[in-house]
Amino acid sequence: MAELKDLVRQWLDSGRVDLFLGYKEVAGHPLPYAFSPDNLEEVEELVVSPARYSLEKLAASILKERPQLKIGLLARDCTRRAVQVLTIYNQVEPGQVELLDLSCCPSRPQVSCSALSPPQVGEVKRALGIDNRLTPEQFEAIPAAERFGRWLYEFQKCIKCYGCRDICPVCFCRECSLEHGELVEPRDLPPEVPMFHWVRAVHMAGRCIDCGLCEEACPVDIPLRLLYRQTNRIVRELFGYDTGLTLAQPPFSVLGVGPAEPREAAGGGK
Amino acid sequence: MYRLVPSVCSYCGAGCGVLFEVLDNHLLSTLPLKTHPVNEGRLCIKGWSLHEYVESDMRLTGPYLRLNGRLHQVTWERALSFAAQRLKEIVARYGPDSVGVLASAKISNEENYLLQKFARAVVGTNNVDHCARL
Amino acid sequence: MTNSIAELEDAGCIFVIGSNTTAAHPLVARRILRAKEKGAVLLVADPRRIQLSLYADVAVQHRLGSDVALLNGLMHVILKNGWEARDYIAERTEGFEELAALLMDYPPERVAAITGVAPEDLARLAELYATRKPAAIVYTMGITQHTTGVDNVKAICNLAMLTGNVGFKSAGVNPLRGQNNVQGACDMGALPNVFPGYQAVNVPENHAKFSQAWGRPLPDKPGLTILEMVKAMEEGRLKALYVVGENPKLSDPDMNHLRHAMKNLELLIVQELFLSETAQGAEVVFAAASTAEKDGTFTNTERRCLRFCKAIEPLGDSLPDWEIICRLATAMGYPMSYSHPEEIFAEITRLTPSYAGMSYARLGLSGLQWPCPTPEHPGTQFLHRDRFTRGRGRFHAVPYIDPAELPDAEYPYFLTTGRMFAHYHTGTMTRVSPHLDREQPTGYVEINPEDARRLGIAEGETVAVASPRGRMEAPARLCRTVRPGTLFLPIHFGENPTNVLTSAEAMDPLAKIPEFKVSKARLEKVEWS
Repeated sequence: MAELKDLVRQWLDSGRVDLFLGYKEVAGHPLPYAFSPDNLEEVEELVVSPARYSLEKLAASILKERPQLKIGLLARDCTRRAVQVLTIYNQVEPGQVELLDLSCCPSRPQVSCSALSPPQVGEVKRALGIDNRLTPEQFEAIPAAERFGRWLYEFQKCIKCYGCRDICPVCFCRECSLEHGELVEPRDLPPEVPMFHWVRAVHMAGRCIDCGLCEEACPVDIPLRLLYRQTNRIVRELFGYDTGLTLAQPPFSVLGVGPAEPREAAGGGK
Repeated sequence: MYRLVPSVCSYCGAGCGVLFEVLDNHLLSTLPLKTHPVNEGRLCIKGWSLHEYVESDMRLTGPYLRLNGRLHQVTWERALSFAAQRLKEIVARYGPDSVGVLASAKISNEENYLLQKFARAVVGTNNVDHCARL
Repeated sequence: MTNSIAELEDAGCIFVIGSNTTAAHPLVARRILRAKEKGAVLLVADPRRIQLSLYADVAVQHRLGSDVALLNGLMHVILKNGWEARDYIAERTEGFEELAALLMDYPPERVAAITGVAPEDLARLAELYATRKPAAIVYTMGITQHTTGVDNVKAICNLAMLTGNVGFKSAGVNPLRGQNNVQGACDMGALPNVFPGYQAVNVPENHAKFSQAWGRPLPDKPGLTILEMVKAMEEGRLKALYVVGENPKLSDPDMNHLRHAMKNLELLIVQELFLSETAQGAEVVFAAASTAEKDGTFTNTERRCLRFCKAIEPLGDSLPDWEIICRLATAMGYPMSYSHPEEIFAEITRLTPSYAGMSYARLGLSGLQWPCPTPEHPGTQFLHRDRFTRGRGRFHAVPYIDPAELPDAEYPYFLTTGRMFAHYHTGTMTRVSPHLDREQPTGYVEINPEDARRLGIAEGETVAVASPRGRMEAPARLCRTVRPGTLFLPIHFGENPTNVLTSAEAMDPLAKIPEFKVSKARLEKVEWS
C-alpha cells in the first residue's frame, strides 16, 4: 500500500496526471475520491475499496466536461477492459487516462473486490428463477423450454430503475434504446417483459466487459451478468471478437466508418 | 473541484444513501452509496435521477413579493421584513392562534425543529402541522 | 416501523397490505423479494393487482375500504384454529377477551360478503401468517388514508399481537413512510399537540421544560391540524398561513374547497423550491435551497437518523430553509442564530430524549436508529423487545365500518388514488426531471378493459371522471391492475388533479387523515362537439 501511495504522489507531483481517482474513507465508508497535486498529503488516506465504484465512468464524465485533463485511476482488471472499450468508442482518448493496476481478478485473489464474495441465492430463486452463480455453460445445461420460464421469473421482478444502464462503465449513448418507445413501452412496471432486458442484452454485445457492476446494482438480483455473458459468448463464437481485450473495432461498428459514437455526442444515458 | 458528496434520497421514506457527483459546483449524476445499510448500492429510477430536479430552470432563484396583484422578485430584506411585519400585525390584531404553520416532510429535522419552535416560541401558537396525512 | 428494513429479509412471512411496494418503496420491495426467494411466505392484500402479487403465495384483492373486515376475519380464523400465541397474549397484552368476543361476529362467510375474499383464501392467509414466524406486516397509505385509518392500524396491531409478532427481529408492524422525512417531521414536533420527541404540549413538565429552553412562555393548548386549519380559514379564524416545502393545493383532499378557504387568508407565505400551485397564490414566496445545497439530517421510516451533506451552493439567491426561518424569526424580534445545522441538531438532542445520544459525528453515514438515549447507546433496531412502551400491549376491539362513500346509481364506480413508480407526491420535483417525466409525462386514469369496452372507451382516449365534489379529465389507461368497477388515479399531476374529486369531509375522526383511497365516481366518455 505504501508503494501504491508513493506512486500516486509521484504521478500527481510530476504532472503525469492532473487528478487521481481512488478511494478515501469517510466514517467507515470507502468513497471515490479525486486526489490532486494541491493536496498531496491527502494521498496518505488513499484506500483500496472492496466496494467497487466505476472510477473509469467517473473519469469519462469528468473528461466530457474537461477534455484537457489527464486522469489517473486505481484500476482493477475490469477497469482496464472498460477503458479499452471506452477508447474504441471514442469516449476516452488514448493518453487521457492512466491506469494504476491493482491486479485483482479472482485468478489473483490478493486484492479484495466485491465480485469475489459470491451472492447469496435463496432456495426459491434457485428452484424457480436463476442462480446468479451459474456460468453460461451450466445454465445452458437446463432444458431450453425451462430456461425461458426462468428468465421470465427474473424479468418480472424488474422495478425499472435503469441501474444496470446507469452504473455501466460502457453505457454512454446519447440516446438510450431502452428509452425508445418503439422498442420498449414506457411507464409500465415491470417494464415490458422480456423486451426491456433483451434490448439491453443486444446492446451489450461487443461492449460488455463483464465487470458485474450491473448485477451488483440490481435491486432485485436479476442475473444480468449471465445474460450478457451469454450474449458475448455468441459474439466470440460468431465473430471471434473478445470484448474488452482488444482495441480492434467490434463487429457491430461496420455500420459506419470511423467513430461509432461521435465524441461531442457523448452524453451517456443520463 | 470534483467531489462525490454523500446525501440521502428524498423521494420516499426508505432513506437510501446516495453520492452526488459534483464538478465545479454543478451536479453531474447520482450514484448509490455501495456500503449504505438501507440500499447497499442499489437505487430505484427516482433515486438514480435525484440530481435532475436540483438545477432545473423551474427552480426559484430568489424571493418574491406580490405587488399590485403580481409576484415580483425582490431582495431578501424586503421579503422578510414584509412577512415579519404582516405576521406581527396579524398576531397583534387577531391573536397568535390566527396564524398557522405547515411544516414539511421534505425538509430536514433541523428545519422542522426550527419551524415548530418558530410557531410556538415566536408566533405563540401550537397551530403547526405537516402534510404527512396527505 | 417497529422493525428495520434489512430485517425483512429474514422474516418467515411477510404480509403486505395497502402498499404498492415496488412502485412507492422499491428498495423495501427488494428486501421483500429477497425474503421470498430465501423461503419466506409472501402474502399480499391489495384492491389493485400489484407487481408483488406475481410473487405472492396468496394474493387477494379485497374491496376498497374493507380492511378491518378482512383483518378481523383473519383473526377469527386464527382463534378458531387455536393459532394464537397464548403465552404472549397472557404475558404481554390486555383486552384480549373483548377482542375475542368481537371477532365472533366475523365468520368467513360474512367477511367474504364484505370484502369479496373467498373463505378458502382467507383461511390460507390466516394459517400462513399465524404459523410462519417471525411474520412482518408491511403497510402504507392504503391502510391509513381512510375514514377508518386508525381502526385499520389498530386491527393490524391486533393481528400482530394476537400471533406474538411484535417485539422480535424480522417481525412487527411496519408502516412505510411515503415522504423522506415524515418520520423526522413528527419526531421534531411538527404536530399541533406535541413538542419534539412526542412530549405533549399540555403536560406541565414538558411545557415548563420547553418554555425555559426557548426563553418564552409557550401556549399549552394543542393547536389545529392541517384540515382543521382549512376549516378555520373558511370560517375566518385563521388569517395567516406559512407553508414550507409543501403543496397543499394539490395534496389537500378537496382542491376547490381549499382554494375557496385560502381566499379568506390575509397573508399566505410559501417557502418552496418551485413556484408550485400553492406558491402561485402567495403574498410572499421564499426561495428555498434543495437538499443538495445544504447540510442536515432526515429520519427514515425505520427511525434511522441519517446525515446528508451539502454538495453545491444554493441556486441563485435561494437560501436553505433553516436560514430563512432564522432570518424570519429574527426579523420578528426573536433572534435565532445558528452557524450550521449541527448546532441546531445539538439543541434537538438536548431536548429530545430519543435523540439524546446522537451527534453528527456519531451518525456518520450509516445513521442511528432511535431510541438512542445516551452517547454509548448503539441505537434500536426493533422496538418493544421485552415490553411495550405503555407496559402491556392493548388490543382494541374494532368493528368494521363502511367507508364514507360507496358507489351508488349516480356514481357507480369505486375511485382510489396512489403513486406510480416514476413520480413522487405532487410531482413538483419529479416532473421537471427528464428521465422521470419521460416515463410518464401526463396524468391518466386506470380502467379495467371490461368497463372500457362497455362504455366504448379506447386506450389513450380522454375520459371524464366525476364525483360529488367535481369533475376532471384524463387519458384512459386500460389495464387489469384494477378490478371491474374500480378506477385508479395517480396523484402526481397538477393538470389532472385527483383532489377535485376526493372529499375533505371524509376523514379519520382521530388522525384527521382524509379518505383518499375510497370515493365514489362516475366515468364518462368525453363527447367532442
